[in-house]
Amino acid sequence: MSNKPTHKTSSGELAGFVRLNEGIKGVVLIAFQINIMALNAILLAHRAGEVALGFGVISKELRSLSVELTGLMQELSNDAYLAVNLISDLLRQERRYRLLKKATDLVANPSPALRDVMVRREEEFSLITHRVRDVRLRLLDRLEDARKLCQFGTAISRSAKIEAAYGREYGRALAEVSQEFDQKIQNILPSIEALCTGMQRR
Amino acid sequence: MKTAQTIYQEGSHRWVVIARDPSKPNCVIDTNEYLVSREGDNLLTDPGGSEIFPAVFAALSTIVDPMSIRYLFASHQDPDIISSLGLWLECNPEIRCYVSRLWSSFIPHFGGDENSLVAIPDEGMGMPLGSGQIEYVPAHFLHSSGNFHLYDPDARILFSGDVGAALLPPEEDELFVRDFDKHIRHAEGFHRRWMGSTEAKLDWCERASRMKIDMLCPQHGSIYQGDDVMRFINWFAELPVGLSTFRHRR
Repeated sequence: MSNKPTHKTSSGELAGFVRLNEGIKGVVLIAFQINIMALNAILLAHRAGEVALGFGVISKELRSLSVELTGLMQELSNDAYLAVNLISDLLRQERRYRLLKKATDLVANPSPALRDVMVRREEEFSLITHRVRDVRLRLLDRLEDARKLCQFGTAISRSAKIEAAYGREYGRALAEVSQEFDQKIQNILPSIEALCTGMQRR
Repeated sequence: MKTAQTIYQEGSHRWVVIARDPSKPNCVIDTNEYLVSREGDNLLTDPGGSEIFPAVFAALSTIVDPMSIRYLFASHQDPDIISSLGLWLECNPEIRCYVSRLWSSFIPHFGGDENSLVAIPDEGMGMPLGSGQIEYVPAHFLHSSGNFHLYDPDARILFSGDVGAALLPPEEDELFVRDFDKHIRHAEGFHRRWMGSTEAKLDWCERASRMKIDMLCPQHGSIYQGDDVMRFINWFAELPVGLSTFRHRR
């Protein structure tokens, strides 16, 4: 098999996608927390009235961001699931190929039909390998989207801090909320970076 | 590598045993596969596990083109019996595998689907092979709850799956039983533990004693022939089996 990875590399790849899925769960949890926090912030801004109009707009943006991030993570999770299926299939194919190859090597004069079987196996293997590569590229694209989204989140959470300063008697409460926004967003970014690095390394 | 040896031949009708693989990993139990061939119709009994597929395939190729195998018969569902099914189907997607109806939806975990698996009803069935006929004989609960043996009335050979099996030490792994009393010691523990039902055992012994059998061919161990066939049936009928013989140790 040309471009045939070893069983060890496929197993490593499988473990990589399983880890990715675990990382996604962590990001989804934080996105959910941002969503709830943003909802509370919108209500707080509503109570504060005119002094927190800007804060309210930013909170809505953060809420939209958390929804978008959750959707993106769901797509990533679907791709990771697809990749796990494909690699499981690849591992099965590798094993079958190994056993068929051993059988072919042991037979004194392998028939053309047997050679055809081996060629079909190699083609099938190559097809699945390409599909895994495509899924990995798509995952990287989505992770890049998630990173950009988080960078946007970082920028608007900082804007929230500025807006909180105009909150007069609500200033302290708004500042606390904006600080939490910033912390949550800062927690997501390393996770996304780690997921990107994990995928690029393969 | 395993070797193929013809144990019966009458014109184009023959039985070949594929056995004894000195190069197999120690962790894998040794198995006997039998090729039943008649006028170009080739059937392989209990084709074995995936890991021994190359050895079976290569040994078979010294006798027939392995791609010409048209039928597989799985006496039951164990991995050492039929986990190579997917590999056989890779070689020939037209292969049909006969197995108890009980297992026809379990075995696809090894490969195959509703097209490649033919479910044998509990009461057994006949199947044409070349110009002759073979019979799938019920042997349920010996040891599997859906279990069959294969009888060839013209060759007077019964493929008996795990019944008659023996776990032989390497120095005594002859192909045919030579000294019944010595041999049967290696079969005793296996039968006591694996054959769970006295009722099923006696029913099988009664039916087998009425069949004309020149050779009783198990999936593990040596082949019984001549008087040793009846000796085995009588021995088995007397052997205590099942839970009453089992002492569970914690």
